Amino acid sequence: MTWTIAVGVKQVPDADEVGIDPDTGRLDRASAPAVMNGPDRHALEAALTIRDQVGGEVIAMTMGPPNATSVLEEAVAMGSDDAVLISDRAFAGSDTWPTSLTLARAAEALEADVVVCGEETTDSSTGQVPPGIAAHNGWAQLTYAEAVDARPEEGRLAARRDVEGGYELVAAELPVVVAVAFGEFDPRPAPLHRKIYGENDFEPTVWDAEALGIEDEVGLDVSPTSVGRMETVDPVERKGEVVDEVDGLLEPIAEVRA
Amino acid sequence: MTPELDTETRAAPNYDDQFDAIVVGAGLAGSAAALTMASRGLEVLIVERGSSPGAKNVFGGVLYTPTIRELTEFDDAPLERYVAERRFSMLSRDDETAVSLRPGEWHREPHNDSYTVLRGEFDEWFAEQAVEAGATLVTETTVTGLVRERGRIVGVETDRPDGTIRAPYVVLAEGGNSLVSEGANLKPTESRENVAVAVKEVLEFPDREGVIEDRFRLVDDAGVSYHYFGEGAVGDAFGGGFIYTNEETVSVGVAYRIEDAVAADQSPEETLNAFKTHPAVAPLVRDARTVEYSAKTIPEGGAESVPDLVHDGGVIVGDAAGLVLNNGVHLEGTNMAVESGYHAARAIARAADRGRTDAAALRAYPEALEQSFVVQNLERYAWLMDAVEADRDLLFEELPRAFADAGTEYFRMDRQPKEVHADDAKDVVLDALGGWTGAAKLALRYRKVVT
Ligand SMILES: Cc1cc2nc3c(=O)[nH]c(=O)nc-3n(C[C@H](O)[C@H](O)[C@H](O)COP(=O)(O)OP(=O)(O)OC[C@H]3O[C@@H](n4cnc5c(N)ncnc54)[C@H](O)[C@@H]3O)c2cc1C
Repeated sequence: MTWTIAVGVKQVPDADEVGIDPDTGRLDRASAPAVMNGPDRHALEAALTIRDQVGGEVIAMTMGPPNATSVLEEAVAMGSDDAVLISDRAFAGSDTWPTSLTLARAAEALEADVVVCGEETTDSSTGQVPPGIAAHNGWAQLTYAEAVDARPEEGRLAARRDVEGGYELVAAELPVVVAVAFGEFDPRPAPLHRKIYGENDFEPTVWDAEALGIEDEVGLDVSPTSVGRMETVDPVERKGEVVDEVDGLLEPIAEVRA
Repeated sequence: MTPELDTETRAAPNYDDQFDAIVVGAGLAGSAAALTMASRGLEVLIVERGSSPGAKNVFGGVLYTPTIRELTEFDDAPLERYVAERRFSMLSRDDETAVSLRPGEWHREPHNDSYTVLRGEFDEWFAEQAVEAGATLVTETTVTGLVRERGRIVGVETDRPDGTIRAPYVVLAEGGNSLVSEGANLKPTESRENVAVAVKEVLEFPDREGVIEDRFRLVDDAGVSYHYFGEGAVGDAFGGGFIYTNEETVSVGVAYRIEDAVAADQSPEETLNAFKTHPAVAPLVRDARTVEYSAKTIPEGGAESVPDLVHDGGVIVGDAAGLVLNNGVHLEGTNMAVESGYHAARAIARAADRGRTDAAALRAYPEALEQSFVVQNLERYAWLMDAVEADRDLLFEELPRAFADAGTEYFRMDRQPKEVHADDAKDVVLDALGGWTGAAKLALRYRKVVT
């Protein structure tokens, strides 16, 4: 059995080139060239790693304007087998809710066993899209994955998850959405011939909102996000205590709950 | 209804012999070659190691454009300013003696085909012209070696996985630091005395509207190219300093022999800083902020160090072939790079028509180059480097000082008659030159620089 592995990639303004205008002190995003979101390269690497483990196909998907094709070309150059551009004027103004719905429907259409995403995007940093995809489809999710271990015989994907103070090993039933911890999957360089092919001769499939049957469920109108105001919050101080014996665990918990 | 993937995909793409030619380096020479070949219907692959063409190019800059103008829609090119003034200045430790030229003709199109440019922008644009003509560009890919079969060049190796690609012709346009050509024994490693090190800064003037126009006496898109010689420019090394005006920045830098940089115990950075603080230079760059710093080597062996330009399946063009003229009055490499790329491309196109890849079939390239200004200029000045090296102390230390002193004497304001001042001035210069005989010999030796 082989797996179909979908990877979500996004085009963002190059973070290295987003300068701060020295005179006004404002972020200058407009003049920065568009590149692939850094964490998505790591997601691609994770997807290719899973393919190396089980065999199958890696399909890159992006929701964006027609010129976002360049990130799909890059994904194909790196090793993705195919790619799909999900593009429609109707998507304008979509926040993370319709965006994750769109990608969820695309993943379904691709019959994906695994969806791999970057931890977050450098231009909005919400980190909400991967869990959103899982929620819309009712699929399992593995967030902050540092390592992946495909177990086709069990029909499960295991991941080592970064958690505060250590890690945990979690195995999830397919289909599963994986959000990759940034920095854990060093992206492989594109092979020369694939790079020439991806950048020059490859043309992605294009789907619009109607193809995915979501034309009435996307765009600004159905985006629930509204920014009320911004506030800097201080982290809450937490009490930490190490108990040596399992038996000793009950008492401190009872104390906290009292 | 579920949408389908309708892409035609290729599992294992392979481009061996899908291109007629591979060009190593998207600098001026490489893009000129690629553009010329693509316009003649050849399939061309350009391989560039930078993240974009020009990203790694250090250039002080005046771009000389007679050939580029012929090859492109030049009106769209990203130029900074045209050169409206050239100034040659001798610096001793704290004196300056200068000659300035501002011909009216330079203000008029085509501005003597001399423009300041920022290579990051210009090279990207020029490579784009080649791509529009049909060439394929891959960036962030470094060529690490040549593929050869029975001596013939049949492709290149790169630093990428699956990184070898074959094509009938390879154009080596890798610039002065020509590791591929040297690694393949197509040219010897340049000897130290024939290599100059250049460091350059791009400066901006925050919050100062019109400062460049005011300091350099400019209007609109007129600009300057200032050249400096003597110990005030590069200490006791053999070379010079320069200042060029861009649209909103100035480029300031020094270029001198690597050999001196090693021997004279001064880092390129220190040399540049000393130049920028010379009393004649400091006011021009006052209150500036450095936005870019870069260093590079310039080949300056002249005609003698030009290697064999054609091989079976390959040609060498531009700086990689040592095609730079640097004689004190002229520093020209951009025009030679473009001219050589152009002639090499034409020779390849003709050889391809006849289905031949051997060196003999490519000889049209060196032949055309020999008829062109490129080799003629290099040969004309071949003798100069040796002469200058022999007269180094005189030219770069004693003469600048003597001219400054002579000027001081000539214009001295005291109660002596002018005749005395004139005699004193003459004596200072003659002393430095070794009397009338010395002066006559020197004049004879260097007359060809300007005549
Ligand atoms: C400080 C300075 C000031 C100068 N001032 C002037 C001037 O005022 N006027 C003038 O006419 N000339 C000037 N020159 C000379 C001029 O810059 C060069 O002659 C000209 O740039 C040569 O062009 P080229 O295409 O041969 O090489 P380059 O412009 O050096 O281009 C070589 C290209 O090849 C790429 N490359 C190199 N190796 C590899 C590899 N292995 N694989 C893939 N890509 C590779 C490089 O990244 C680069 O893009 C100056 C030079 C310097 C350094």
